[in-house]
Amino acid sequence: MNISIPRPTRTIVLAGLIAVQVLCAAFFLWDAADDYAEGAADAEGLHLEVETLATLSLILAIGLEAGLLVRLIRREAHMIRGLSAAARALHEIIDEYFAVWKLTPAEQDVATFLIKGADIAEIARLRGSAEGTVKAHLNAIYRKAGVSGRPALISLLIEDLMTEPLLKREAGGRSG
Amino acid sequence: MKAKVWDPFVRVFHWTLAAGFAANALVTNPEKDLHHLIGYGIAALLGLRVLWGLMGPRYARFSSFPPDPAAAMGQMADVVTGRRRVHLGHTPLGALMIYNLLLTLLVVVGSGHAMTTLAFWGIRWVKELHEVAVTWAEISVAVHVVAVIWESRRTGVNLPRAMVTGYKEVPDEALTAE
Repeated sequence: MNISIPRPTRTIVLAGLIAVQVLCAAFFLWDAADDYAEGAADAEGLHLEVETLATLSLILAIGLEAGLLVRLIRREAHMIRGLSAAARALHEIIDEYFAVWKLTPAEQDVATFLIKGADIAEIARLRGSAEGTVKAHLNAIYRKAGVSGRPALISLLIEDLMTEPLLKREAGGRSG
Repeated sequence: MKAKVWDPFVRVFHWTLAAGFAANALVTNPEKDLHHLIGYGIAALLGLRVLWGLMGPRYARFSSFPPDPAAAMGQMADVVTGRRRVHLGHTPLGALMIYNLLLTLLVVVGSGHAMTTLAFWGIRWVKELHEVAVTWAEISVAVHVVAVIWESRRTGVNLPRAMVTGYKEVPDEALTAE
């Protein structure tokens, strides 16, 4: 089965494209500012308005792409290997929960290591932070998720995976 | 952990270049001799830095910080996941900025010198190239300063101080990479 997996090269290409677009946007912005300075009254028709609108659209698109890039990079960092359909589905569920619980990026990272079975000392080593910091992250995760500890957190995810058929979930997501 | 990373030449180069660029971008009159003198000084600094990058000590060598997009994305991943990995030498994103600044400043001094020669004096595109390159260098310097402050706070390593003392003081629990 050929599933689309975010690969490092893809993120590099995306980052490169965003960099190029940022340069273009900066140039158009400078150009539009120049046109305004020269006097909008001289411009024929709606040229200036269209130019401004196009530039703003480009900036908006760059913002959306940057958000996508951050998500891709984060997902790559959280994935280890062996991306079966089930692992992918589990990742989607995990990501959804993280969003609902409003975990910070650092908490998301800690929670991912936690679900993968790492203990506090290992998580601290993997993240280059102190154990006390990891403990503080764990407390925040359990509090936001409303669970008592790691077993409860993991059963929550597994339960979701078991009660909702994967295919129906995917189809529902597309049509809805 | 305390690691000696920047040799005296790298440190003197960095701060002299910064002072020279600031002086010519903000203070000196482009028509006057002082501007030109500082410009040639910067050209000499750039030349020496390139030589030092080929034959200098470990962390000064280009081979210790090659342009590496994959490593740069790895550093981005550390940022967006809050992982703390300290690079002893230049970080991958820092390396990209160094190449950008070296190349941009070479264009600045090259076009600046050309404007003083008979062959290129008064030619519009040379002047425009000089101005565009300077603007790009100014934007790059601003990004560089913000990124250095950001990375110092994120990793707990005081990078500006390391560029003064030559030593990076790395927190014990941080991951380290070359």
